[in-house]
Amino acid sequence: MRIPCPHCGLRGHEEFAYLGDATLRRPDPAAPDAERAFAEYAYRRDNPAGRHRELWYHAQGCGTWLVVERDTLTHEIGRVTEAREQGGS
Amino acid sequence: MSEGSNSVLIPGRTGRADGRAGLLVRECQGLALASLVARRGRVREAAEAARAAFGVALPLVARAAGNERVTFVWAGPGQWLVETSDARGDIEAFLAPALGSLAAICDQSDSRVVIELAGTAVRDVLAKGVPIDLHPRAFGVGDVALTAAHHVGLHLRQVSEEPRYRISVVRSYFGSFRHWLESSAAEFGCEVLAPLGAG
Ligand SMILES: [Zn+2]
Repeated sequence: MRIPCPHCGLRGHEEFAYLGDATLRRPDPAAPDAERAFAEYAYRRDNPAGRHRELWYHAQGCGTWLVVERDTLTHEIGRVTEAREQGGS
Repeated sequence: MSEGSNSVLIPGRTGRADGRAGLLVRECQGLALASLVARRGRVREAAEAARAAFGVALPLVARAAGNERVTFVWAGPGQWLVETSDARGDIEAFLAPALGSLAAICDQSDSRVVIELAGTAVRDVLAKGVPIDLHPRAFGVGDVALTAAHHVGLHLRQVSEEPRYRISVVRSYFGSFRHWLESSAAEFGCEVLAPLGAG
């Protein structure tokens, strides 16, 4: 599996560290349901068969966090963008 | 930066003993190194400030740019490794007047081992572990790659057409990298030459 880093070009997945779901947003710790929301955020994961948006870190390359679209059935890689471009938490 | 020689490579021949060695290795000593990381939103200003002060703009893609005084090697977006023989003792003071307000500067002189690789088999040796296409149509003089071989992070660039490559490796990993390099070069013969810039 190779990931096209926007800075370094096409690189093997072994140069990257995987974090996980890129669609999660850190809950508001001041919200009344914060405890439930954090349990959900920290532990509950969907396990989608198909397209997934994931965070990958180019650890042995340029040190950029990337949002990678990956098909979990075929390992086909779709759009790759810099995580910093999407903002949020 | 410490004084004197701290050689990590002992000159001599390993691997195939007959004929000319296919891999020639030299350590580059006496270089001052620094990391340079642009503050948020200041990348273009920093690039221009470097051009004004040193006559070399910071490369914004995976390239190296330099002159006889200093070389800026791209090290990720908004980051560079600075190499110079002109600032022995205090590379931070060398860079700060031009770049101190635009970037974080940190002396790395002792943190890396810098070597140069050449010889007729240099690409064949590197191809055993460096996952970068070094064929001239894909990688040429001035091109830079951050990658890994033998699980050791490498900062690699081509410095001349022969071809000659310069690699910097975090010093504490260098023994492991050297083991990989000598093993990979054994079939071609590996000659460690006297260091560059010693003394
Ligand atoms: Zn990268």
